[in-house]
Amino acid sequence: MEQKREHSFWKILGKNLFPASLQSYLIALGAIFSLNFILPRLMPGDPLHAIYGDEALVAMTDEMEAQLIRQFSLDKSWWDQMLAYIMGLLQGDLGFSYYYREQVSQVILGALPWTLLLAGLALVIATAIGIILGIESGFCRGSSLDRGLVASLMFLGGFPDFFIGILLLLIFAVSLDIMPLSGATSPYAGYEGLAYMLDVLKHLALPLASMVLVQLGGIFLLTRNTMVTLLGESFILTARAKGCPESYIKYSHAGRNSLLPVTTATGMHIPHLITGALFIEIVFSYPGIGSLLNTAIAARDYPLIQGILLIVTVTVLSANYLVDLLYMRLDPRVRYAH
Amino acid sequence: MLSIRDLKISFGKTQILSGIDLDLEKGECLALVGESGAGKTTLGLSIMGLARGSATGEISFQKKNLLALPEDELRQLRGREMAMVFQNVEDALDPVQRIADQIAEAITVHRCISAKNAGDMALRHLLSVGLNGEKARLYPHQLSGGEKQRVLIAMALVNDPDLLILDEPTASLDALTKADIIRLFRSAILGRICIVITHDISLAAALADKMAVLYAGRIVEMGRAESLIRDPHHPYTRGLIRSYPDMTTTKDLQGIPGRLVHGLSGCPFHGRCTQRIDICSRQIPKQRELDGRIIACHRGGIVPLLEISGLSHTFQANYVLRDVFLTLYEGETLALVGESGSGKSTLSKTIMGLHEPDRGQFILEGCSVIKRDAAFYSRVQMIFQNPKESVSHRMNVLDAVQEPLLVQRESSYEARLGRAKEVLDLVELPVDDDFLKRYPHQLSGGEVQRVAIARALALGPKLLIADEPTSALDPSVQAKILKLLMNLQEKMGLAMLFVTHDIALARKVSDRMAVMHKGRIVEEGATNEVLIHPRHPYTRRLVDCALGRYGMENAEIEMMVEPEPVVLEKYC
Ligand code: SF4
Repeated sequence: MEQKREHSFWKILGKNLFPASLQSYLIALGAIFSLNFILPRLMPGDPLHAIYGDEALVAMTDEMEAQLIRQFSLDKSWWDQMLAYIMGLLQGDLGFSYYYREQVSQVILGALPWTLLLAGLALVIATAIGIILGIESGFCRGSSLDRGLVASLMFLGGFPDFFIGILLLLIFAVSLDIMPLSGATSPYAGYEGLAYMLDVLKHLALPLASMVLVQLGGIFLLTRNTMVTLLGESFILTARAKGCPESYIKYSHAGRNSLLPVTTATGMHIPHLITGALFIEIVFSYPGIGSLLNTAIAARDYPLIQGILLIVTVTVLSANYLVDLLYMRLDPRVRYAH
Repeated sequence: MLSIRDLKISFGKTQILSGIDLDLEKGECLALVGESGAGKTTLGLSIMGLARGSATGEISFQKKNLLALPEDELRQLRGREMAMVFQNVEDALDPVQRIADQIAEAITVHRCISAKNAGDMALRHLLSVGLNGEKARLYPHQLSGGEKQRVLIAMALVNDPDLLILDEPTASLDALTKADIIRLFRSAILGRICIVITHDISLAAALADKMAVLYAGRIVEMGRAESLIRDPHHPYTRGLIRSYPDMTTTKDLQGIPGRLVHGLSGCPFHGRCTQRIDICSRQIPKQRELDGRIIACHRGGIVPLLEISGLSHTFQANYVLRDVFLTLYEGETLALVGESGSGKSTLSKTIMGLHEPDRGQFILEGCSVIKRDAAFYSRVQMIFQNPKESVSHRMNVLDAVQEPLLVQRESSYEARLGRAKEVLDLVELPVDDDFLKRYPHQLSGGEVQRVAIARALALGPKLLIADEPTSALDPSVQAKILKLLMNLQEKMGLAMLFVTHDIALARKVSDRMAVMHKGRIVEEGATNEVLIHPRHPYTRRLVDCALGRYGMENAEIEMMVEPEPVVLEKYC
């Protein structure tokens, strides 16, 4: 009996952490790594050229070149090359950025937290506000609140991210001068603790706001429309017949069910979110992956570009995976599918 | 306890309910029946205060007028004092919450109770509807339809409401589950006011003691459930019951012509009613109480078309008809069965005036029949076993069909031709010139009989007497002719006196059956009941023979003391 229960406990846990879709994620990941390995080697000429670019090679000493060839096992068979590539990946080795003269992984690691902070917060805030507004708006469809929200959020959502960013920048940082123009922290201020956090938030506010404003519309509209459909469902009638007050119906029945399509849509929206973040970073010179990519492209730092793309895809994939897990938590029909 | 006065609900311009009056005491269960769109569900929802649209009138429950109550007070009554189980079991539960939680919620929204106690109560109630604790932790999609229905019942009962409304509660369940659920309902409705909304007559019969038939937002008939089902008085109720199969239905299912239209002036049913009169389309019939039945019909329900009383006829000092009483109602088929020589053909010919009776009276549509004039024959027509008897071999199809019109002095040829084509079309015959010019010998037996029927229908009669109309035909042709007669009845509201010796045939076409023996009507009643429980020994013998059991000799019946004829009340 005990054993049986334990068995089923592990099974459920396993099912919860590794849904069937995990397989597809692993396949996607494998494909990306393979492409990353194969593409430079398929290019005409010396793979080192392909990997590092001409300019890098000019700056490179013979000694370095020899070391690189050894490192990538470029003088050995494809099989050995692949082993070397995988070993490198496992050690977090993405190559060497000749522009920054540092390991690519180190460079990316310096920028990634800022992007994650910006995009992550934008996602959380936009989703939360979008859902709440959507629920309220959908619940009283046709009211002035509803009509006003639909019109204004659709208007905002029609702009590209960077446009709103530039607009906010011009208004708050240039004209009103109440917000910092660029960066993630005030340089050389030497803040610590709370002051540092406030400083970070202050710098974050404008890019974050522009991202939230743009993302909001889609989530809001989806939630609202889902609410409108859900309110016509039989189970809502059952809830009303039970004597549930409006707020229960709004949030714990219709609202909770409307999370399902919103979650799915959010998952699909993540790549868009990331690209949005890259643009916004450039507008606000925010020192995240976007700015880094910008620099890397300008300097033709191929290893860095490749590393960034790799990291971005991995990030998107893992975010999607998390959303999948969340969806399973939300929808028992998926969790306990027969 | 629950009383509804002149309840009207309109949605935009359409009036969904137009003047409902209803009184229900504690312990009473009312079945609301009617086709979809009649407003049944709206009535249920409006009692719960959940109907959209604007309402006028009064719904008083527990001494409060629900229509005047502020929403918050109404909400507190919902689920506590009155509960509703909705149709569409599949979507009636929140898909993302455990069922026990959903039931517990029904408790917590009405009382101050800790979550744990509410959970325990929910479990107890689930147990009482036959779902154990393991099921309680499941989500709706993990339950079967029957289990979901149980959950919904538990949810409705959890606060012990005084009023329980069940909306199509068994619509999506299979027969066995349905039986279980009905058992559960039986105990659930005890001591409460209960309203069962359904179009399933058998469910209504199983649960309810009262039954109200709703048509286009009005109650057209209301009374005790079993008597209403056995003996519907309103034409619509009869149509509804005729179109619903149960295991004792013997007649083929018939529909009701036309479809439900809202917003008609006058009687809402008048567009589909086959016994409508002038006033029907002008004035709304008031609800009246007639024989313990509430009925809304200007004519007081289905009217008797032909009443025969005290009819006797002797032939060479022998009784051929002895004291015959028989009533034929509008739009029904009465089968007159009996062996040859029992007097059934004499009876039909006497009705037609082919024999002059010694004694007795005929009343057709309320007027005593003194002489058989053209007016009489435009209301009553007959078709014979041998179609040659009604269609002269010297007439072609067109002449045969238009002859009755000529007799009725329909002078214009165009009008006669038009009508002839119309009725030929009704009996599913071709109307091209070639066919119209054919003579009986050029037609098959089935076709001649159709021509005979068309000829009988030409004047639009209300009563068709069919004397063994198919016994001269092949079985397959016979089946087609019978189908045709049934369709004509449905379309035109034709009443039919179907004279036959073939009980099996009578069983398939008739609503009621009268058994003749030696010039007397020895038994009369609803066809299925006469056949299942024949009371007169002669009927029993006829049924036995039809079933292939040849027990009693004719002589045995002769020797038995002549029992009193069994004349049951109509449809009984
Ligand atoms: S007879 Fe008139 S009032 Fe009665 S049901 Fe028919 S149409 Fe309505």
